[in-house]
Amino acid sequence: MPRDRIVRIPLFPLKSIQSNISLAFSLLILAAIVLTSLVSYQVSVDAVERNSNGYIEEVIKQVNMNIQSYVDNMENISLLALTNKDVKYYISDNSFISTENRRTYEKRISDLFQAILYTRNDIASIMVFGYNGRFVSDRRITSLNPNAILEEQAWYKTAKSASGKSVISAPHVQNIIQNEYRWVVSLSRELKSTDGIKAEGVFLVDLNLSIINDICSNINLGKKGYLFIVDNNGNIVYHPQQQLIDSKLRTERISDVIQASSGSSFVAKDGDGKRIYSVQDTNFGWKIAGVAYTDDLIASKDELRNSILLYSLFGLTISLLISVWLSHRLSKPIKDLQSDMKQVEKGNFDIQTEIGQMNEIGQLGRSFNLMVSRTKFLMEETIHNQENKRKSELLLLQSQINPHFLYNTLDSIVWMAEQKQHEEVVLMTSALAKLFRASITKDQELVPIRVELEHITNYLLIQKMRYTDELDYVLDIDESILGYKTVKILLQPFVENAIYHGIRNMYGIEDGRITIRGRESNDQIVFEVEDNGLGMTPEQLDKIRINGDENSRNQGIGIRNVNERIKLYFGHEYGIQIRSEIEVGTCVTITIPKLE
Amino acid sequence: MRKQRFTIWLILAILIGAIYSVYYFKLFGGPSIHDNSIAVILKSLNVRMDFWQTVNKGAETAAKEVGMELNVLGPLQENDADEQIRILEEAIEQKPEAIVIAPFADDRMSAILAKARSAGIKLVVIDTPLDMNPMPVIVSNDHAEAGRLAGETALSAAKGHPTVAIISDDPNSEISEERLTGLLEVLNRYEDSVIGVSYANNSEDRAYEIVKQLLGADKPFNTIITLNETATLGVAKLLKEQQWAGVIELIGFDSSVDEIQLLESGTLKAAIVQKPFNMGYLGVKTALKLIDGNKVDPVTYIESNVITRENMYTPENQKLLFPFINNNK
Repeated sequence: MPRDRIVRIPLFPLKSIQSNISLAFSLLILAAIVLTSLVSYQVSVDAVERNSNGYIEEVIKQVNMNIQSYVDNMENISLLALTNKDVKYYISDNSFISTENRRTYEKRISDLFQAILYTRNDIASIMVFGYNGRFVSDRRITSLNPNAILEEQAWYKTAKSASGKSVISAPHVQNIIQNEYRWVVSLSRELKSTDGIKAEGVFLVDLNLSIINDICSNINLGKKGYLFIVDNNGNIVYHPQQQLIDSKLRTERISDVIQASSGSSFVAKDGDGKRIYSVQDTNFGWKIAGVAYTDDLIASKDELRNSILLYSLFGLTISLLISVWLSHRLSKPIKDLQSDMKQVEKGNFDIQTEIGQMNEIGQLGRSFNLMVSRTKFLMEETIHNQENKRKSELLLLQSQINPHFLYNTLDSIVWMAEQKQHEEVVLMTSALAKLFRASITKDQELVPIRVELEHITNYLLIQKMRYTDELDYVLDIDESILGYKTVKILLQPFVENAIYHGIRNMYGIEDGRITIRGRESNDQIVFEVEDNGLGMTPEQLDKIRINGDENSRNQGIGIRNVNERIKLYFGHEYGIQIRSEIEVGTCVTITIPKLE
Repeated sequence: MRKQRFTIWLILAILIGAIYSVYYFKLFGGPSIHDNSIAVILKSLNVRMDFWQTVNKGAETAAKEVGMELNVLGPLQENDADEQIRILEEAIEQKPEAIVIAPFADDRMSAILAKARSAGIKLVVIDTPLDMNPMPVIVSNDHAEAGRLAGETALSAAKGHPTVAIISDDPNSEISEERLTGLLEVLNRYEDSVIGVSYANNSEDRAYEIVKQLLGADKPFNTIITLNETATLGVAKLLKEQQWAGVIELIGFDSSVDEIQLLESGTLKAAIVQKPFNMGYLGVKTALKLIDGNKVDPVTYIESNVITRENMYTPENQKLLFPFINNNK
C-alpha cells in the first residue's frame, strides 16, 4: 500500500551535526532578524509619519501665526486711522475746511501714514477715501488710476456692506493708483462719524502679497509637499500651482479642505499619490492647508530601509559566522571522538581520546577510553595466550619426540639386545612404546591422572633401566586422585630435570632417589617431585624463577612451559613452586585444581 | 563535507535574497522617485522677460511635483541665437536625460538637436515649432487657435460686420503667420471682412504710420487686429491721439503693463493672452513622460485666453496678466 506511506522529511536533513546546527541557527537568526527589522521598520515609519504630521501641524500653526500677525497689524493701523482726529475731520461732511486747510490736513494725514509705512515694509499702501470725494494716501501726491472706478472695487464694496467691520480681501492686483499694479491683500473698513451713525468713508490698508507668498513658498513639506490657503468661499488665496488649477491641469481638494475643521487632517489618495492634508483655520476666515506626500514625508524612507537592510545584513553576516563557529565548537568534540573511533576501527587501540568538559560528550569519551583500553587489554591477553599455547604445544611436541632421549633409549635397547637380555629388551621397548603412545595422542590436552601416572611410570622405568643402580624412585600417588584430570606430561619435565641436573652428576656419592607424591588437599591436587640431588644455589633458583629454564631449554621441556600450561588451563592461582637446597636436593610442588 | 557546506551557504544566500526581495517589494513598492536630469533651455533668462520667467516657473513647478531639481538655462539677452546654441551644446555634453528647449529659428539648430537625439537625450521643443526629421515632441501655444479667438472677438465686437485691418510684424515670423492663419480662417467666412494685412517689422512707429495711412485712405474699417505687442502699442498711440479709441476696436496679442493700461482705458478691446506657465509646466511634464517611456502626444497645444476690460481682474486672469508678485515699490 504505497499510498499509505508518508514521506517523512527529517527535521534536520543534512548529514553532519555541524551543518544541522548551523542551519538551524542560521534559520533562527534569519527569522529573528527579518522579524525585528520588519517590525522596527514599521515602527520607525509610523514614528516618522506621526512626527511629520505633528511637524506639519506645527508649521501650519506657525504660518497661521505669521499671517495673523500681519493681519493684526493691518487691523491696528485701521484702528489708528479710525481714531485719528485729522482723518475724521478730513472726511467728515460737515467740517468746514477751506481748500488751504485741506492741504495741511492732507499733509498731516499723509505724514502719519508715511510714518507707519516707514516702519512696516509689509504694507504696500494706506489710503482713506471719503464719501465726500476727498481721498488721501501715504504718498504726498496721489493720482488715482482714471480707468479704475472706485465704487467698483471689490474691497470698497465689501467694506461698505460690512458697515464698520474690517474686511480682508482675497489677493488681487491693486490698480487704484495710477501706474501701479501690485499684488496685495486688502483690509478695508468703513469709517463712521464721531457719533458712530453716519458712514463717511472707506479706509484701505494693502498688505504686500509677497509677504504671504514668501511665508508660504518658503515652507518645505518634504520635496513635493506644499501649502495653500483658501478663503471661506473656496477662492484660492495662495497656491503654488494656482495657474494649473485655473487651467484645469490640476485639481485641488478645496471642498474637502473647506469642510475640514481646524486642526484636523485627512488623507487623499489618487493619481497624484497618497498625501496628507492638514487644515488650520485663521481668525479672519482663511483656511491654511498643508499637503505632504507620504512617500516624500518619509523622505528618509529609502534611507531608513537601506540602513535597516544594511544593519540587518551586517548583523546577519556576523551572527551567521558566529553560528558556524559555535556549531563548529559544539560539534568538535564529537568530531574528534568520531575520528578517534575511526582510528580504532582501523585497529589502532593505542588511542585515548582527549576529554574536555565533563558533559555528555566528555562522558561518552570517558566510556570510549575505558572501552578501548579494556579491548586493548583483552586483545593483548588473547594474543599472548594464543602465542603461549602455540609455543608450549610446539615444545610439548618437541619433548614428546626428544631425540636424545630416543637415541639413548634405543642405544640402551641395542646394548641390552647385544647382551642377550631379552627380557629387558622387551620390557624397555614396550615401555618406550607406551610412553610414545601416551604422548603422541594429541587429540586431548587434558588426561586423567591415571594416564599421566602410567606415562611417568613408563618413563621412570626406561630411565631406571638406563641408570640401574644410580637411580631409585618412589611413586606415592593417592588412589583417590587417579580419576581427576590433569594436563598431560605434567611430571615428566621435573623428573627429567631431577635426573639430568640432580642425580646424574652425583658420581655415586649416594644413590639418587626421586620421590613422586600425589594427594588431595582441599579442592586441589598437589604433586611433589623431590630428589636428593645436587640442589641449586639461591641464585640459580632465582634465575629459573625469573627466566624460566631458558638455559635448559635444549635439554627438554622447561619448568616454565609446564607452569604456563597449568596457568593457561586452570588459572593463575595454580602453578609450581620450587624449593631447593644445595647438597640436599630439590622439591617441586605442582598444584592443580580438582577437575573431574 | 566541503560540498555540503557550500550547499548550506547557497541555500542561505538564496533565502536571504528571497526574503529581502519580498520585503522590498511589499513594503517599499511606492511611486518611483525621479532622479532624472532635465535641462530646460529658454530663449532668455532675463528677469525682466516676464514671459520666459513664467515659463521657467511652470517648469520648476513640474519638477517640484516629482521632487526633481531642474537645470534652467538660456541667454541673458533675447534674440541671442549664438549664445543659445553655445548653451545647448554645453548642455548636451552634460548628457541630461532630456532637453526641453524653446529654440530660436536658426539654421544650425536642427543639426545640433539631431546630435542630442542621437546621444539618447529626449527632446521636447516648446514655444516655437522646429523643422526636424522626425519631428520632435512639441509643446506649444496654439497660435492658430489664438488667431481664431481674435477673429471671434472681432466678430462679436463688430456685431457681425467686421472690416478688419491686420498689422503683423514680419511674414517670416512663424508665430505671427500662424495667428494670421487662424484669424483669416474665421474672418474669411465674411465677405470683404479683411481690408489688408500689413507688416510693421516689429516697430511701433511703423505700425503707427501704417494705420495713419489706412485711416487716410478711403477704405473704412471698424477693427484693427495687431499680431504682436509693438504693433499694438503703435496703433494704440495713434488711436488715442486721433480720438479713435473706442470707435475703432483694437484687438492685440500678449500682455504687458502698457497693454494692461490700454485694456483698462478701453483703447484695447481685447488681448489674446498665452499661458507661458502652462507651457513650461507641460514641457517638463512631457519630458518626464518621455524619460519614463510613456506614450506622448506629438504635439501638445496650450490654449489662450481672451482678456477684456471686463474680465481682466478675475482671479484667473489677474494671474495671467500679472504672473509675478513683485516686492518692489
